[in-house]
Amino acid sequence: MLKVSDLKKEFKSGDSTVKAVDGINLSVPSGAFSAIIGKSGSGKSTLLSLLGALDKPTSGTIEIENEDVTKFRDNKLIDYRRRKVGFIFQNYNLIPNLSALENVMLPMEFAGVNSEDRRKRAELLLEEVGISSDKHKRKPARLSGGEQQRVAIARSLANRPKLILADEPTGNLDSKTGKIIINLLCSLAKTEKTTIVAVTHDQGIAKLADKTFHLKDGKLLS
Amino acid sequence: MGMIGRGVKNAFRNVIRTVSIVFILAISIALVLIMFLSLKAVQAKIDSVKGSMGNTVTVSPAGVRGFEGGGELLTTSSLNTISALSHVAKASGTLTDRLTPGQNTSLTASLEPGSFGRRQQSSQTEGRMPNNLSMPITVTSTNDLTNTQALNINELKVTSGASFDGKTSNNIALIGADLANKNNLKVGSVFKAYNTDITVAGIFDSGNRFTNSSLLMPIKAVQKLSGQTDQVSNINVQVDSVDNISSVQTEIKGKLGDKADVVSSIDTVKEAVKPLENIKTISIYSLLGSLVAGSVIIFLTMLMIVRERRREIGVLKAIGASNVNVTAQFVVESLTLTIMSSVLGIIGGFAFSNPVLKALVSNSISTASNGQGPRPGGGGFMSRLSGAMPGVQNTLRDIQAVIGYEVILYGILAALIIAVIGSAIPAYFIAKIRPAEIMRTD
Repeated sequence: MLKVSDLKKEFKSGDSTVKAVDGINLSVPSGAFSAIIGKSGSGKSTLLSLLGALDKPTSGTIEIENEDVTKFRDNKLIDYRRRKVGFIFQNYNLIPNLSALENVMLPMEFAGVNSEDRRKRAELLLEEVGISSDKHKRKPARLSGGEQQRVAIARSLANRPKLILADEPTGNLDSKTGKIIINLLCSLAKTEKTTIVAVTHDQGIAKLADKTFHLKDGKLLS
Repeated sequence: MGMIGRGVKNAFRNVIRTVSIVFILAISIALVLIMFLSLKAVQAKIDSVKGSMGNTVTVSPAGVRGFEGGGELLTTSSLNTISALSHVAKASGTLTDRLTPGQNTSLTASLEPGSFGRRQQSSQTEGRMPNNLSMPITVTSTNDLTNTQALNINELKVTSGASFDGKTSNNIALIGADLANKNNLKVGSVFKAYNTDITVAGIFDSGNRFTNSSLLMPIKAVQKLSGQTDQVSNINVQVDSVDNISSVQTEIKGKLGDKADVVSSIDTVKEAVKPLENIKTISIYSLLGSLVAGSVIIFLTMLMIVRERRREIGVLKAIGASNVNVTAQFVVESLTLTIMSSVLGIIGGFAFSNPVLKALVSNSISTASNGQGPRPGGGGFMSRLSGAMPGVQNTLRDIQAVIGYEVILYGILAALIIAVIGSAIPAYFIAKIRPAEIMRTD
């Protein structure tokens, strides 16, 4: 269960203060697929950063498995990002000079998984997301956008996280590929029992979600 | 692929940039090595020149040279004063005199006058040449027979009999081999000098015909017999270290004032090694400059790479990399660049150290010889030096950088220093990059 209470994030801009996230309360049950929709600048990405502990909130709490992430300090934060959460980005953010396989193995290396185990797991995940073995050694530049996003999904699942945060996962894909990716995410969420929070402005994706949150000017509308 | 593999692989992400950086850095490392080798070679040469000149200070009466000039001789008390000075290892006094065959000695000179001797005699007697011209016999007396430098001979080999104690006042002598032959003298033979019986204590061979035709006697005996009580014609001072020569020289001048000429080899040595000292200074500055340049090159490169890969660093942090993980990867990348540069730099250092050193030495010595223009008395410093110390100029030119295995170690050490300095500040910037950087839209 993911539970967010009165979460706020403010930025200083000259003399004024911008409230990017303004007192958000939400809860997502374990294994559910939730969508956060809103226009550009509504605070979606900032909210995702806070949920993934990439940034610190001004105030409020984020509870995952009854632990408040906002109270975590350095090493615990790193450990949270390593084991509890996985990221999927609009522009994939794969490491360009590593192969698809090496990209998926990377989070496991940081988590201390031995070389053989991480190779096996990475190969399995790539197969699961539909990347055939002949493409495992290809670098991202030699994969299509859809394939790169599949590799990114495999990477996000590498350390069996409880929460996957997806920032516009289909934003750079055509609608047909986008649907395939979302279906893939939903099915993986079920098999891996992972909670997924996806930020999108695609209403089609929102319809597939178990729960949808509308964000405007840093506040939830419903 | 682990962190090391990624770091190494990253070093080749942009081949043109990598080649350029490696090339420039290799030049910098080669310069570090060349300057380091030059520094070592020059220091060794300076030490060798200083060592070969000895730690000697010579004190002679002002205005006196050999048997010419005018003034007052030194005294035994001057010798005692100098002996008591700090840093003086040994002070040997000598008193030189001449015996004239047929007048104050029974000996016959073993040296033939020849045309040189006749010309000298002629100038001294205003052209009136004696019928049976004979060379005088030189008597060198000393308080220390072990100090051959004070006796102006390279080696004193006693071929029969025994050496004498320089402190004695007995009427004994070591007689040169040629003089002994000429006069049929053996150990224990007695001859007349200063109207006194002198016993032959031993016969020596110095390998030099002039000294083999002379006598060596205890200084006290000659002072007494020649009527030069307490007088000393030369004092040879051995200083404990080259570094103390100047201070001892100054102290002696202070004690004896203007009645003595105090000369040491240090002034000549100092001037002789001046070009090398200049090269040493150039080498030190170039060494530090090259090291700094190398560090700056790798620092700027790494800084540029870190700035370029801000988003990638954000990704690594977002998927669980710690600052240490990311920094280590960049340090490996930096080390890869510097190690490749070191290999090239070491090869360059090997190839160019001697040519560069020779060019520096040659240029520096030529500048010293010619650059200061003519001096009163004629000649630049090298010409004076060549006159004063024949062969020193060639000795200075004969300098060689010794390339050993330790050079490779120094090369690697230089690379490590460069890599560590070059990575330290980028590492700080890496730590400052927030994982949220990844959410930034370009």
